[in-house]
Amino acid sequence: MTVTAPLVPQLPPPTRPHVRAIRLLRDEAWTGALVVLLAVLLIWQSTQVFRWGAFELDTLFVSTLPLVFLALAQTVVVIAGGIDLSVGAQMVLFNCVSGSLMLHAGLGTALLYAVVTIVLAMAAGVLTGWIVTVSGVPDIIVTLATSFVWVGVALWIMPEPAGGAPDSFRHIFIGSGTAFWPALLCIAVPLLLIWTPLRRSRMGLSIYALGSDPQAAFLAGVDARRARITAYAVAGLFTALAGLSTTAYTSGGQASLVVANTATLGAVAAVVLGGVALSGGVGGLLGPILAVWCLSLIPANLLTLGVDPSYGEVVRGVVIVLVVLGGSLLRRMGSRP
Amino acid sequence: MTQPPDLLEVREVAKSYGPVVALRSADLSVAPGEIHALLGANGAGKSTLVKILSGVLRPDSGTIAVAGTPVQFSNPVQAVRAGIAPVFQDPALVPHLSVADNFTLTGTDRAAVRPWLSRLALDVDLNERVNALPLAVLRMLDLARALAHDPQLLLLDEMTAALPSDYTENVFAVMREWRDRGRSVLFISHRLTEVQEICDRATVLRDGRAVDTHRTSEGGEARIVGAMLGERASRVGLPMAERRSIAVDGPARLQLEHLAAGRRLKDVSFAVARGEVLGVVSLEGQGEDDLFLTLAGDQAARSGRILVDGVPVKGRHPLQAIRRGITLVPSDRQHAVLPQRSIRENLALPLYSSIRSWGWISDRKERRAVQKAVDELEVDTRAADAAKQLSGGNQQKLTIGRWLVGGYDVMLCFDPTRGIDVGTKHQIYRLLRQQAAEGRSVLMFTSELREVPLVCDRVVVLHEGRIVAELPAADADEETLLHAMHNLPARELS
Repeated sequence: MTVTAPLVPQLPPPTRPHVRAIRLLRDEAWTGALVVLLAVLLIWQSTQVFRWGAFELDTLFVSTLPLVFLALAQTVVVIAGGIDLSVGAQMVLFNCVSGSLMLHAGLGTALLYAVVTIVLAMAAGVLTGWIVTVSGVPDIIVTLATSFVWVGVALWIMPEPAGGAPDSFRHIFIGSGTAFWPALLCIAVPLLLIWTPLRRSRMGLSIYALGSDPQAAFLAGVDARRARITAYAVAGLFTALAGLSTTAYTSGGQASLVVANTATLGAVAAVVLGGVALSGGVGGLLGPILAVWCLSLIPANLLTLGVDPSYGEVVRGVVIVLVVLGGSLLRRMGSRP
Repeated sequence: MTQPPDLLEVREVAKSYGPVVALRSADLSVAPGEIHALLGANGAGKSTLVKILSGVLRPDSGTIAVAGTPVQFSNPVQAVRAGIAPVFQDPALVPHLSVADNFTLTGTDRAAVRPWLSRLALDVDLNERVNALPLAVLRMLDLARALAHDPQLLLLDEMTAALPSDYTENVFAVMREWRDRGRSVLFISHRLTEVQEICDRATVLRDGRAVDTHRTSEGGEARIVGAMLGERASRVGLPMAERRSIAVDGPARLQLEHLAAGRRLKDVSFAVARGEVLGVVSLEGQGEDDLFLTLAGDQAARSGRILVDGVPVKGRHPLQAIRRGITLVPSDRQHAVLPQRSIRENLALPLYSSIRSWGWISDRKERRAVQKAVDELEVDTRAADAAKQLSGGNQQKLTIGRWLVGGYDVMLCFDPTRGIDVGTKHQIYRLLRQQAAEGRSVLMFTSELREVPLVCDRVVVLHEGRIVAELPAADADEETLLHAMHNLPARELS
């Protein structure tokens, strides 16, 4: 297109470095606060534990790995303006699926089965998303119902705790010895390979747009149905990783409704604490990861202080309420144009 | 006729929402290289036609052709592909994404937007989040995005409504340039002076039909207003453009001093006397919602004061307004009625804080008060168990009757007769007059200008957040009000 000479002279480039810095500070304030909170909790723990080091970090990262993946699953759905109460149940299901498949398998076969598990989980996500978009039944009800179904299927596959996985496969997730970095790598790789490109693509932006303002998204040409189903499919992928890492961590599978429900609620807590607005459209994946670690360190730290673990839960609840309260106040002040 | 085919050809397009007919049979044709205005009073069907042309709504019947090819849009993307790029009244930008991400989302080439940004003199950081930018800038960005799609027809819905004048000048310059390139613009505006300034032709809609298409050079504003009014047009006195000093007999019950609120209400002062029904009329989006919500305590004033009987009203909660005797009958009765509850519970709602004795609600007092309201309003009590079973008119009676039961000094009625039958309308008019006769005050916004002489004592006209005219209701015929609503200069009609 040819455009005639502008009416006014070209203005200086608008993005000056300090503007960019201020914006980064404002947009990522929540994540920054979580980094500080995590650092405080870690330093506190290091003063409590004799010869604190790699072992403690390994415990933290490996034991929370399934919950981190679940939090990511929930985050994607919440960003799209929905909620998924079946993430815990899917984790349990794919824990049982992979655990029963991989028993006595070699590394190559185990990896193949891992891929099968991921494909199945994404199919489950597509199915959930399809039911939600087609039926018009609120997602909270659909996913509550599917959560019972998934745990039922898991019980059918594995009526009692059983299964297993080859050690070589387990080490991919939990590392051998006290190396904590394999667990971090397990989180980083899917984020870099799947989420980062998605976030920049039109499909990923559609997911954000759908949660932010469905009307504006419609006017912008977003296919709401496809965006929602994609969100549930990506969530399915992360629940598969949660199931696989549970198999690796526990070296087997267990179909338990209690485990499923506790995990689902833990994921919701991490999403909220991670700065993802339940109204949709706001937040990233880094916040919920940090939130999972913070939430797991709080009772651990209190335990080393000699506080009863049940009080630890109280403190955890209070922290969630305070952080979210403070955050929403900040956000209200910040978003005023 | 040897003319080339029109760029846009709309024939007999109709659209109904349930029983409500928004468009009866609209015809519109836009030639290549033309700036065409689409005009009409509130409810004439403008916004419905815009939504159909931009693919947001599907018409019930009728045909649309772009450059001679019939088209049917089932979503906005198809309209853009066919060469119609709209800029809506509310910017279609996703609030939590950056401007650049919004461009990516709509498949807009950033290289194509950039020349338009500089052409429109927009100094915006594209990495900024949309909800951190002011409304005027968002509308300009939306325009730049629409231009970047290089459409045959640019659809501008109230484009200039929220713009400062320098932006408006840039928009006009681009519109003219667009026309000079042989492209077309469909320009929807309430500002008739702008229409005269920039548009080549104008089509006027009334009651869902296109009633007049003419060159703007032939006829002027008077012809447009005449077409909006139809045969009801009568040539009587014109409004005074300058504000008269407000003279109210007796002490003011409700007084507003330089009230500013929300995005649109800029500076409003007036008083409502005891026993007076004061009408408020305006085009859409002139601050009327902000005025009523602020008076009702639902949002805080930016500046200025609200006084009841000379004492300022404080706070920003409806309860504080209600305690001072200001009650709201909202425009959408669905916001006020408790649909699952009975007529009695709906009417007695305001009582629950006052007729308790030791925590118990006095059944006898409640029954008496409710029965009185039911009689006064002639509510149809056959479906007494759930308000949702009542007709719209009877539901509206509940939202008004609630305050007859609860007691009030000033009732704010926002379009109280919208979408209800004629019989009920007249009952409501009678009721409001009767309330005034008993010494209460009513502030009534209405989009049906015919109501003003029937119900009101006086009427004020709101335009761009300010009062531009105030006149006795007896002088307020539709033509006078319509002129004042468009803030046209007072001059004789030819």
